Amino acid sequence: MSLFLPKLSCKKDIDDAIKSVAEKVLVLRFGRDEDSVCLQLDEILSKTAHDLSNMASIYLVDVDTVPVYTRYFDISFIPSTVFFFNGQHMKVDYGSPDHTKFVGSFKTKQDFMDLIEVIYRGAMRGKLIVQSPIDPRNVPKYDLLYHDI
Amino acid sequence: MGAFYCSICRKTDFSGKGHIYGKSHQSKLKVILVKFTEKVKEARRTIKNPQVEKYSPHHEEKFWCYCCALEVQKHVTDSNISVLYGGLLEHMSTPEHRTNTHKFWWDNKAEPKLRDKFIITEEETERFKSEVSKALEQFEEKEDVLIKQQAAAIRSQEQHRLEVLQSLLEVCFPGMLQAYPYLSTQEQINRICYFSGNVHTGAVPPWLLEEPDEASSSGQQEMGPSLQEFLKHKEQEKLKKLPPNRVGANFDHGSHTDANWLPSFGRVWNSGRRWQSRHQFREEEAKTRGKRKREDVGKATKKQKDLSNGEL
Repeated sequence: MSLFLPKLSCKKDIDDAIKSVAEKVLVLRFGRDEDSVCLQLDEILSKTAHDLSNMASIYLVDVDTVPVYTRYFDISFIPSTVFFFNGQHMKVDYGSPDHTKFVGSFKTKQDFMDLIEVIYRGAMRGKLIVQSPIDPRNVPKYDLLYHDI
Repeated sequence: MGAFYCSICRKTDFSGKGHIYGKSHQSKLKVILVKFTEKVKEARRTIKNPQVEKYSPHHEEKFWCYCCALEVQKHVTDSNISVLYGGLLEHMSTPEHRTNTHKFWWDNKAEPKLRDKFIITEEETERFKSEVSKALEQFEEKEDVLIKQQAAAIRSQEQHRLEVLQSLLEVCFPGMLQAYPYLSTQEQINRICYFSGNVHTGAVPPWLLEEPDEASSSGQQEMGPSLQEFLKHKEQEKLKKLPPNRVGANFDHGSHTDANWLPSFGRVWNSGRRWQSRHQFREEEAKTRGKRKREDVGKATKKQKDLSNGEL
């Protein structure tokens, strides 16, 4: 659990965050504070938040508090990290089945910073989907749960 | 004898003293003397009646005195007024010139009778000087009179203009009476007229004139934008520098959305446009809500199954 990253606990807060963050990448971490992988991820997020402050704003969201978005964003694994830029969803191809969010934690802080930078540059050039700079071996593997089965 | 340069013939001569008696030398000499005499005659005429004139560049002219082999100023001037032929007369009255003239006559064997014309005696000089001072006084008087005439002309013109302006104002601005009731008509017109004074008359510039009725009633009005507007402007300047084709450049950050608003999100199981994701989601929500109405309480646990830890 991070003491420094702001938390959002209702749909309205998330809406406000999406609408208000301007010209920076919005990072929404969906998970639970007690979960071990989330703890790992949160640590990386909080340690890099200051260095990335000009490019990104990071928020933590507890999945139990906002079921609407949990369903809307198809969050099946935690932690899941979703990226926005100026109210638009940014997709990233990590080499994994799901491009709409990042599942799991990062191996190093540098991986996360590189990813943020790539998303930022892509957004500035008008791209809604970018290629992840992280080595695919460091990206957590998961099987995508099929819908409606 | 030797070689000597005859300045009259402008030739070097080797024949010695005999040269000056030669025909060509004498004829050239005569021509020169005739020309020179003319100049001196002109100057002599002014001895009794000196002419004083206002300065003109032509008064800087010099003439060549053959006797002294010098260039001498013809007129005397002090850049404002000049005495014509003053220089010439003064030069010719000097003793050096006298000796030079005698020498010249002896060397070149010219007619001795002509010699005296080129020298000006002391009496003539005295006479000339007294006449000159008189002439100067007269000249100055004339100048004064001229200046006074010009000043009078300018004054009358100015007066005429003022009168015309006053009469026009009386016709065009009858409303002045209401605006400034505490002034008489004449004073009002004067006020307007003298506002049109200019830098040269030392009039007060219009922006420094006190406005007694307007302006200061609304208190301290600040000029220019307020702090808020300035900060906003700075932000806008920064935004302008960002690339115009970035994602969400035209996203309205301040728009109010209702509780049902969903952001633009591309869902996992939807490979169409982004709004289709939203559409699909709303349909799903409608369906599940419909289902829940039909089924009862026990279904509340259904959601929790979906979420599990990431398999790592």
